[in-house]
Amino acid sequence: MSATTALRNAVSVKDQVSDEEWALRLDLAGMYRLAAKHGMTDLTFTHFSARIPDADNQFLLNPYGLRFEQITASSLVRVDMDGNITLDNGHSVNAAGFTIHSAVHMARHDLQCAVHTHTPAGMAVSALPQGLMALTQKSMRYFGKTCYHDYEGVALDLDERDRLIEDFGAENHTMMLRNHGVLVCASSVRLAWTRLYTLEKTMQAQLLAMASGAKLRLPPEEACAKVAAQWDKGDDSYRQDGWDSQMRLLDRADPSWKH
Amino acid sequence: MTVTAMSVPTQPGVREQVSADEWQTRVDLAALYRLVAAEGMTDLAATHISARVPGPDDHFLINPYGLMYEEVTASNLVKVDLNGEKVMESPFPVNPAGFTIHSAVHMARPDVACVVHTHTAAGMAFASVETEVLPLSQTAMQFYGRTGFHAWEGISTDLDERERIVRDLGQNRALILHNHGLLVAGPTIPASWVLIFQLERVCRTQLEAMAAARAMGTDLVLVPVAVAEKTAEGFDQSLRNAAEGRTNFDWDAHLSALDAEDDSFRH
Repeated sequence: MSATTALRNAVSVKDQVSDEEWALRLDLAGMYRLAAKHGMTDLTFTHFSARIPDADNQFLLNPYGLRFEQITASSLVRVDMDGNITLDNGHSVNAAGFTIHSAVHMARHDLQCAVHTHTPAGMAVSALPQGLMALTQKSMRYFGKTCYHDYEGVALDLDERDRLIEDFGAENHTMMLRNHGVLVCASSVRLAWTRLYTLEKTMQAQLLAMASGAKLRLPPEEACAKVAAQWDKGDDSYRQDGWDSQMRLLDRADPSWKH
Repeated sequence: MTVTAMSVPTQPGVREQVSADEWQTRVDLAALYRLVAAEGMTDLAATHISARVPGPDDHFLINPYGLMYEEVTASNLVKVDLNGEKVMESPFPVNPAGFTIHSAVHMARPDVACVVHTHTAAGMAFASVETEVLPLSQTAMQFYGRTGFHAWEGISTDLDERERIVRDLGQNRALILHNHGLLVAGPTIPASWVLIFQLERVCRTQLEAMAAARAMGTDLVLVPVAVAEKTAEGFDQSLRNAAEGRTNFDWDAHLSALDAEDDSFRH
């Protein structure tokens, strides 16, 4: 099925899923559109996923073959941890994407959403020995919460899940996939988007700073840890990242993501 | 794309409740939010632009917390005092913590009409390396010797930090917040727009030139100090002209560009 045919013929799955799942589908489709808007896509490649709240062993993944700005709530594919599609909507998923995302959802039930990108900044930082540095105030959101996974080739081998899970550990929310890109996770789709957006910007800043050749103003680690805790506290309480506002802006341009 | 005022969250009736001067400040400030957004200098709902309300009261306008800059309008700007407390009823929340840096500048510098703070990649990068604004381009010279630096103290929650922000800004028009971002303080809203647009460009230009020079093993070509200082003095004069109402830096052209795309900022 071509992408345009998929959009034209799309049947809403709203009546076939729980209210909670539909709300999750809206958030996840909205995030795909935000990533497209902010230039964080790689054609039809890379994936964002979200665990179904009332069916813990299943998650939503993008319909393979669609550009992110073509993804809708109904076109998201629901799969279980073995890769079986549990609600047929005419779409299929990408095998490598399934490997990475199922690893997160199998191992970390505290994380609802996982997002993976191949942006130039993410690929570049993933290939530097320093990895992600605690250089900007923003980067401290990831301080002590970031791990690394060595490149093994395109993730088609389900065995890699064991190594991904081991490298991810129990406390991290962000993984630098060496020579590949980034994987950012969170307890909700909305928080995952903010973490992804912030990470992208802080990686761009890090690369510009490093390339300048000037000495880096690296803050003391103790301060980084303190600020990391402030970020976590803010994420759990007062911080407003303007999700509703962002969704209204999507609607202005193209409300089809809600279908 | 035509956007109607209906599609953004406005607060009806504000125009009738405020002075004509305040309304004009609201329209101009909302326009500045939209211009900053159009240039990609936003950070989701974080960072702020603030403007002093004309008149004797220390009242300020700031963005409603949780709205993207593309949704800021004249009526939904929130009026606050120096502590970030609302002084006029508004259904929109404010982020008092985010106002701390702004209030520091407004307290100390009554000549400043508008404070802009950004977290751009180039701004954060510039703020995170040991450098200063070099006389590298004509654009940079408006900040040459007119830029302060503020050492990083962690996320700004400590009101004591205001004193140090004031000290570090001094009489400058720009402040580099180490490991954090950029801040400009201009005598009018249009002046602050020009300053933040140019400072962003200055940071990116200098970082790129430094990287290229280092890679090629060459030095940067810098303007002699006396020439840089003379050029900077010319820019001082244009800011004085703005303060005294003799220039608005072609503000109408920027408003027209916004109007052509989306005039909802006026509501």
